[in-house]
Amino acid sequence: MSASPIVETRGLTKTYGGSNRVNQVGLTVEAGQIYGFLGPNGAGKTTTLKMLLGLIKPTAGSIKVFGKDLAKHRPDILNRTGSLIESPSYYGHLTGLENMRVMQRMRNAPARNIDKALQIVRLENQKHKKADQYSLGMKQRLGIAMSLLAFPELLILDEPTNGLDPAGIGEIRELIKSLPDQYGITVLLSSHLLSEIEQIATSVGIISDGRLLYQGTMRSLRASAKASIRFQTADPARAEAVLLERGYLPVAQGNRLTFDYLRDEEVSRINRILVEQDIPVIRIEERKKSLEDIFLDLTGKERSL
Amino acid sequence: MKALSLEFFKIRRKKIRVMLLLFLAAEMIWASVSIGISISRSAANASWEALVFTIASMNGLFLPILSAIVVSRICDMEHKGSTWKMLMTTPIGRRQVYAAKYACANALIVYGILAQTLFIVVFGLLKQMSAPLPPALLARFAIGTLLATFAVTALQQWLSLAVRNQAFALCLGMVGGFVGTTSGLFPSAVRHLLIWSYYLDLSPAAYKYGDSSGSYVSGSLPAGLIVAALLMAVAFYVAGNIHVSRQEV
Repeated sequence: MSASPIVETRGLTKTYGGSNRVNQVGLTVEAGQIYGFLGPNGAGKTTTLKMLLGLIKPTAGSIKVFGKDLAKHRPDILNRTGSLIESPSYYGHLTGLENMRVMQRMRNAPARNIDKALQIVRLENQKHKKADQYSLGMKQRLGIAMSLLAFPELLILDEPTNGLDPAGIGEIRELIKSLPDQYGITVLLSSHLLSEIEQIATSVGIISDGRLLYQGTMRSLRASAKASIRFQTADPARAEAVLLERGYLPVAQGNRLTFDYLRDEEVSRINRILVEQDIPVIRIEERKKSLEDIFLDLTGKERSL
Repeated sequence: MKALSLEFFKIRRKKIRVMLLLFLAAEMIWASVSIGISISRSAANASWEALVFTIASMNGLFLPILSAIVVSRICDMEHKGSTWKMLMTTPIGRRQVYAAKYACANALIVYGILAQTLFIVVFGLLKQMSAPLPPALLARFAIGTLLATFAVTALQQWLSLAVRNQAFALCLGMVGGFVGTTSGLFPSAVRHLLIWSYYLDLSPAAYKYGDSSGSYVSGSLPAGLIVAALLMAVAFYVAGNIHVSRQEV
């Protein structure tokens, strides 16, 4: 594992028409990670990834890939990077195999990699078909195969499961998960689907309105959200008054009283207090925050991903 | 060279060569009929100069449209498949691809110009022209046509790559064909500003009007116009390259 991160951005900003599409983003992707770049549509994911590849110039900030400044060492960095940005790129009048040949010659990759990459994405039986005749999912697979062709050290995938059917999503997910161990590839992938990132990524960066709101491992993200405890009683008003008297700070929500995280002994004690006061306790439940709740807490938005 | 060979690889199945040949065949058939009628009216028209002049004047109509189509076919595939962003993430940069496309388009049209020259030779020999085969005249015809083509393809490529909708580039080709056909009617100061008039202006054969009739004459290519055509080619190429390279994808 190298000492410096594979991707490191500082204060990365892109401004269009006076508004910051990407605002002071500081990404850090370590070697061997599957980094999930999560955010709603229009959050600035693709713009950020495009800047990492030098497709668009940042308004401000610095980008280092493999420890090297992107602006100064772009050809060398691109040689070691595979990418699939937005929709897959392909020549529709050429067959899948011919598209791979174009990419192979551009990247100076060995010819044997073509079959290997097509096999990985399960397109080997469709390689003589024109790309125009491919389904959306097949085009996406072709795009992934082209990005994998040189078996790069860093793979940047923008919404890689777009257009794939559930079985295809599963296959691509397993493929991406196998890349770090099998081929030593570090993966940076973006998605607006929480479930996808949750199942694939080892680290996550959450972006909203151009700002990076969270960055860390998936484990620490989950751990950051503690479960809440909810008491449902027959007389919530009296229950609340009794508990306030005893120094507890419940939040009343309908006929429920909600507490931030409580230890088991505290739950037992509150239950006993209520029962002793002849207040029937109907239900005690622990509510663990989902990743979506965490996301909504972070972004402060009640919006669907 | 790798970028150029890739361009030729990428145009397979685009049927550009077939289209080029059919287009030029139509021009040659038209030219054959026109020259045949002209010779049948006056034996004096059975000259190499008349033949070269007729083809050069027809080129003013056909080659701008042909160039627009060829360049558009070569450039359009990058728009259709959103492949610019893919090309930009490979060690082959956009400027190299731009140069390769320009070379590829011109190489294809050079085939066409050489085929035209061959047609002139074969047609002239079959029609038994009054003078022997003039290689210098034919070489000057090919060079003059080529110079005008270089500038026209540079302009077409700029538009075809900068604007996704190829209707604009094809319209420019048609406007060029119209200007090329009617350029003889414009004053020379105006004509020399319009690159499409150079197909005729850089022709080594001209029709000189006399008091009651005219005659075909040949001469060397005007040096000033050669320089002007080259400058236009360089200007269109450089401007297009800079503009397209700066566009964000």
